[in-house]
Amino acid sequence: MTAPFLVAKGIAKRFGALTALSGVDLEIRSGEVLALLGDNGAGKSTFIKILAGAHPASDGELVIEGVPVAFSSPKDAAAAGIATIFQELALSENLSISENVFLGRELKRSVLGVPFLRRADMRQRVDGLLKELDAHISDPEAPVGSLSGGQRQAVAICRALNLNARLVIMDEPTAALAVAETRKVLALTRRLAERGCAVVLISHNISEVFEVADRIVVFRRGRKVAERLRAETNPEEIVSFITGAHPDVRALEKAN
Amino acid sequence: MNRIRKLQGPALILALLALLWIIVILVLLVLKPSVFSLGTVTTILQFSTILALVALGQAIVILAGGAGIDLSVGGIVSLSAIAGMLAMKLGLPSFLLPPACIIAGAALGAFNGVLVTKLSILPLIATLGTFFVYSGLALALTGGAAQSGVPSWLLIWGRGVFSGIPVPFLTIAIPVFAIAGIVLMWTAWGRWIYAMGFNERSARLVGIPVDRARLILYSLSGVLSGAAALISLAWLGSGRPNIGQNLELESLTAAMLGGIAILGGRGGVGGVFAAVMLLVTLKTGLLQLNVNTVWQVGIVGALLVFVLLADRLSQNWR
Repeated sequence: MTAPFLVAKGIAKRFGALTALSGVDLEIRSGEVLALLGDNGAGKSTFIKILAGAHPASDGELVIEGVPVAFSSPKDAAAAGIATIFQELALSENLSISENVFLGRELKRSVLGVPFLRRADMRQRVDGLLKELDAHISDPEAPVGSLSGGQRQAVAICRALNLNARLVIMDEPTAALAVAETRKVLALTRRLAERGCAVVLISHNISEVFEVADRIVVFRRGRKVAERLRAETNPEEIVSFITGAHPDVRALEKAN
Repeated sequence: MNRIRKLQGPALILALLALLWIIVILVLLVLKPSVFSLGTVTTILQFSTILALVALGQAIVILAGGAGIDLSVGGIVSLSAIAGMLAMKLGLPSFLLPPACIIAGAALGAFNGVLVTKLSILPLIATLGTFFVYSGLALALTGGAAQSGVPSWLLIWGRGVFSGIPVPFLTIAIPVFAIAGIVLMWTAWGRWIYAMGFNERSARLVGIPVDRARLILYSLSGVLSGAAALISLAWLGSGRPNIGQNLELESLTAAMLGGIAILGGRGGVGGVFAAVMLLVTLKTGLLQLNVNTVWQVGIVGALLVFVLLADRLSQNWR
């Protein structure tokens, strides 16, 4: 088994008197899709916000490839190779696919200090990424406004890849998609992991998770209550962890 | 595909504007054929130069979104012209008059930018306030009197005509529009302006310095108004404290007619240029036909509504 890309040790997050997250230990490995499951308010979103640099942790430590890191902003996390694909994607619909993929870090040729775009190079790179992802988008110059929800996910994934992200966090990527589109996005997720990326997937849909994840982690009331390899568990067990019906969870909750 | 997208909105606007322009010219031709002379063309272009610069500033401020609008452009034109002339009266060497006007414009524009970006005042309100401050100050500083004494070498430039085309139009308006077009289409800065204009949150997420860019754009709008002030001095030979009157409305109309979306993120400078030509031709034509100025304003307003309606309908068809 490869060394984990990222190790979280004893991560806790308190908002005033409210404890949103306590004592979470987690390892995230390259080439693996890790699914985070849990009811609303279980702490999944808080946890990925800490990974993405949006919130500082109140306690605990993040270690990336053996080096402890502290993120004070999403930019720090991005610099460490962590890209987050938010539910609302944050794409600019009036710009083309390649312009969106490169937005904020365009390839340019400076003439007298004026950053002229290298459109051909950007186009080529995006074309390559789209082909690699098998995203079925033929023209990188098409405006993002004309794309479907699944295609937009593909563009957002391209952007993450273009940043050379080594950990991609996907927050409910299929929440607003039709069935066929969902299939495509799940396939994209798998392909990301095959490329050697670590992928963290947040989802509510258990069948989707079983289709795509290698490992499944369940959060409940701010704690990590279970971690299972997909091959060693089944949907019923996972559901019982989520709802708190599983004996292990009961024992844990009684102990506190 | 890209070409179609880029041209679809703007090409439609340009085609509409060209059509309207031809209609205006045909109507004029029928009603008053004597209007058509090289002199009229020169006059139209001379008027266009000032409006074109101001409208360009207005257009880039609106394009960058965040409810951006610059109602103070007319006030900046008046006050920079007056500031330049007063500075000369106080001993500024006359060769520094052009930079003085431009720097005054830049400072006034930057003040708008600070109000909008640092103090988070709604642009409509902030620039409405500075519009009153700037134009009021221009009147107060002069008591309403025109300031004479523009150096004669400046008049040679400002009134010069090269094969029927005014020299300021050739040396300022055309280069500035060309540069603006190139920057918007071919540089990363241009892409950032479109991105922040359309979806400010995503622009911030990818690390575009939205506030700094907006501050610069308001300042640039000021610079363009300052340049317009300079051209008015060089053309008219004196600084009038009300020279910028109505420019905020006309520049806004030109920007809207030219296809700049009021919410930002869409449109190009070519349309603005065409809209300026159309507006000035129409106004000149109405003037030649002795149409009452009240009607002139009304007709320009009706034109604005018509073009916006056409744009709206064409979007529904797509």
